[in-house]
Amino acid sequence: MSKETTIDLACENICKHFSDFTAVDNISFTIPKGSFFSILGPSGCGKTTLLRMLAGFEQPSSGDLLIKQQSMLDVPPNKRPVNMVFQHLALFPTMNIEENIGYGLRRQSVPKSEIAERVAAVLERVGLAGSGKKRVEQLSGGQRQRIALARCLVLNPTLLLLDEPLGALDLKLREQMKIELKLLQKEFGTTFVYITHDQSEALVMSDQIAVMNKGKFEQVGTPHQLYYQPETAFVAGFVGDSNRWQGTVESIASSTVLVNTNDGLSFKAKVMGDKAISAGNSVEIFVRPEAINVSRTVPSEETDNQLVCQVETILFDGAKSQIIAVEKESGGKITVTLPQTSDFANLQNYDTIYLNWSAEQTLCFLDNAESNGGV
Amino acid sequence: MSSLRTTSTFKLGMWLLLAPLCLWLVLLIILPHLELLVFSFTDPEKDSFTFGFYQEFFLEPLYWRTFVRTAVMSIMATILTLLIAFPVAFYIAKMLKGRSKGIVFAMCLIPFWVSELVRTFGWMILLRESGVISNFLQWSGLSDGPVELLYTDATIMLGLVYTSMLFMVVPLVSTLDSLDDSYIEAGYDLGGTNWNVLREIVIPHAVPGIVSGCIIVFMLSLGNYLTPVLLGGKDSLWFTEQIYTQFITRFNWEQGSAFGLLLLLLSSLIVWAGLKISGQSFAKTMG
Repeated sequence: MSKETTIDLACENICKHFSDFTAVDNISFTIPKGSFFSILGPSGCGKTTLLRMLAGFEQPSSGDLLIKQQSMLDVPPNKRPVNMVFQHLALFPTMNIEENIGYGLRRQSVPKSEIAERVAAVLERVGLAGSGKKRVEQLSGGQRQRIALARCLVLNPTLLLLDEPLGALDLKLREQMKIELKLLQKEFGTTFVYITHDQSEALVMSDQIAVMNKGKFEQVGTPHQLYYQPETAFVAGFVGDSNRWQGTVESIASSTVLVNTNDGLSFKAKVMGDKAISAGNSVEIFVRPEAINVSRTVPSEETDNQLVCQVETILFDGAKSQIIAVEKESGGKITVTLPQTSDFANLQNYDTIYLNWSAEQTLCFLDNAESNGGV
Repeated sequence: MSSLRTTSTFKLGMWLLLAPLCLWLVLLIILPHLELLVFSFTDPEKDSFTFGFYQEFFLEPLYWRTFVRTAVMSIMATILTLLIAFPVAFYIAKMLKGRSKGIVFAMCLIPFWVSELVRTFGWMILLRESGVISNFLQWSGLSDGPVELLYTDATIMLGLVYTSMLFMVVPLVSTLDSLDDSYIEAGYDLGGTNWNVLREIVIPHAVPGIVSGCIIVFMLSLGNYLTPVLLGGKDSLWFTEQIYTQFITRFNWEQGSAFGLLLLLLSSLIVWAGLKISGQSFAKTMG
């Protein structure tokens, strides 16, 4: 019990103002020991500034930063129990692999023989035993990645910060490294704080994700929560793919609303978010492409939302193929996942398809402009 | 067929481009040195081969002592220049951003728009017995009489360091500029102090710039004539002065040629030794 409640990092009302804008706006959160915490957000949302404050390269304008209950505000970067894997890794090109990993240990005045032992041990754990004498440029992208991790992990930091380290890798390697990072994190049991703009990286690896936008956390939760129960329209739109419509509320019955979209469709949707919605409000609604049932025949039973559409384009991408369909009467467009069953093997443009899904899977948020008091 | 033609056109183009360089090397460097070589080995009276002018250098203590003194002072000037220029270059390359970086760099360059002769006279105005500093010391009561600050080894050193500054700052700024900030941050992040980061990350990265700056400054100091003569006076005992004396005062071109070649040879030897000691190769430094 006590192990689960140990908090490694706590941020209390952290703010960072630059001369003309606020990069980080009053953020508070805690990270329990041993978890993989991701901060997900578009570029320019302030996530890098937040990470640099954790590392000590930036000073917060206000608020407090506690690592293991100790304030870090007056602790310089080289004294914090925090290490960082840089975006471009920053492996020292003038040193070989062994010297790179040993750099931090030498700073702690660890005896030479012990440094050699610990370096060899950590190299073995990241699966690169015996490459200590190699030069940095002799290693592949994935291997460098692991060396950068090893260089930090050998110091047993309380917190390991990762600044989009997978960004520079090609797709295949990135997919592989995602899994590898997660496994290494579990093996070492170190608390990871990972920042990325790639939702798939965050969803696959994290225990907890904070979605960040314009200097604030929109929502903090498990990948599952963010995906299925987004609390704001931003999260619904940013995490995963969604069909997105703007519309007006026609009528409301308990937590289900009837919405007329601007392009002439009409849906039953579930009210999300903490803002009250009433008839006449303008709203945004989100439906995930994979939540929609597709059939080529008229479905036998009635569901909340039903559309008869014509196939406009098929975007073939293997298992992730999608159909862009046009609703026959209004001309409104909708994206659905192409089922991989034999029924659809010969699907052509202009074919008619029948779409249906429940109100539960149609998420309705009060429009941002309206919730801010504007038009 | 067509590829053959492009190759031959390419070759012609390459030779045309190289022509000015080759002319410059042959006419201004190789030919004069061959001439010097011939001079230095010829006895003008008997018009025969002789080793005497080189012997003279080693047998007459004044000559080789002057050379050693010149070399040692040049090395010291190089080290001093490096010690002063490194923080300046680091400040320009790493601490300053955008406009102010350009301005400070330009401020380092501007004094060099004035000719060396004028700059050296500037120092003389400051340092001579009736100069600005001497007057100030008397006026403020720190000194009873006029103070002569010219014509000492320290003055020569001052002049050499000042003259060489730019040639050290420029290569250092360009190598330090190429050091990504994330390396420095990583150095601190992994527990390094200022000194650790400087010694293990910044200096190893800057070595090519340091070495090329040092070679340029050493060669310039060793071959400098104006600064030692003007600031050091008659007793400055700089080796280039000996060469000048042989050629101009004594009209002994043969001895002067021998000294000139010895200067080239010995200075190359010192640079080579310096590269060996610092574990650098000439190609790596220039590349």
